[in-house]
Amino acid sequence: MTSTALESQLVVGAILFALGMIGFLTRRNLILIVLSTELMLHGVSLNLTAFGRYHGNPQGQVFTIFVLTIAACEAGLALSLILTLYQRRKSLDVFLWGNLGEEDLPMLSSGNAPPHAKPIDPNADLPHLTPAGRAPSNPTTKA
Amino acid sequence: MKNGALLIPVCLGWLAIFWLLPRAKPRSRILGAIIGLAALLALQATFLPPVGNIVRDGMFYLFSGSAILAATLMITDRNPVYAALWFALTTLSVCGLFLLNSAPFLSAATIIVYAGAIVVTFLFVIMLAQQTANANYDHRAVQPVLASVMSFVMLGALLFALQEWGGIDGKADDAAREGQFVAVDASSKANQFSQPPSSNKTEIGSMRVLGRSLFSDYLYVVELAGTVLLIATIGAIAIAPRRSQGTL
Repeated sequence: MTSTALESQLVVGAILFALGMIGFLTRRNLILIVLSTELMLHGVSLNLTAFGRYHGNPQGQVFTIFVLTIAACEAGLALSLILTLYQRRKSLDVFLWGNLGEEDLPMLSSGNAPPHAKPIDPNADLPHLTPAGRAPSNPTTKA
Repeated sequence: MKNGALLIPVCLGWLAIFWLLPRAKPRSRILGAIIGLAALLALQATFLPPVGNIVRDGMFYLFSGSAILAATLMITDRNPVYAALWFALTTLSVCGLFLLNSAPFLSAATIIVYAGAIVVTFLFVIMLAQQTANANYDHRAVQPVLASVMSFVMLGALLFALQEWGGIDGKADDAAREGQFVAVDASSKANQFSQPPSSNKTEIGSMRVLGRSLFSDYLYVVELAGTVLLIATIGAIAIAPRRSQGTL
């Protein structure tokens, strides 16, 4: 394998990484943001296999297998997180989550963000505990 | 200007991506496609010279071109379902490049994990969560100028570094002195199960060599990766919405 072939692979990997970076920065859909990070990982794995082939050892491919493992973990975690977020706001817009602080604080994102949307179920943001034992008597209603 | 040829594909590519990014008023995609093809041709002329083996060159151009095209369409498509399908096509093209890098097992594993599992799961989530087909937030990019300029500046820096570097062997004789990438002998003497570096380069992707390296040199890392998978599974189950809270 000549050096030009190695460089061509590195160029393609760099282009894939840059395209994934653009997608990560510009898309507003939560799912597409995660998919763009997977695109960046593709660029990195291409570099790893090209160097492994150049040096004639399997270490580049072994590292790519670990990248694959981490990508699978990341996809599973991200999807469950996205499902939880979607269930609260019924939207995949990332700008809805631009303000995780108090509601009277100014929003950090730019002007075309929608107004701070109330969750559809007001109790959805609260953790649900399984009720156990006897219901306590309320002292205020007793008096 | 020594590195002036670098600017042509980078600027053309930036123009194409910027033109194709989704915005409120749709633009003609044909003009963006023409600029993008010009950028790819300029890139081929400056950075991707043919090696000489015509079959290998043809396959490399085919796979890399389809990978870049599908990635561009993925980040510019307004419909997230189509974007996920373009990502599957990118994955298949990258797997073809893996095959060219003599990694058949890795190519098959990537197709199974990405195209078979990850993309299908993403498609399920998109179809479950996307109630309106044309959501407003998919039609407008966030800060398209800043994001594309920053990414292409980074791409230009990477290409410039590659051009200055000039290859491991051949053009840059003083690479070893300057601490650049140098081919090192990979045999680790401490591990008796370690695979000696193979002289046959088509063999490095075989199951035997790969498994030998995985379970001797990287045994602890394999255990660690298994632990990470287990933790991620537990975390995903803990984070996912319960049926009592109302699933999708």
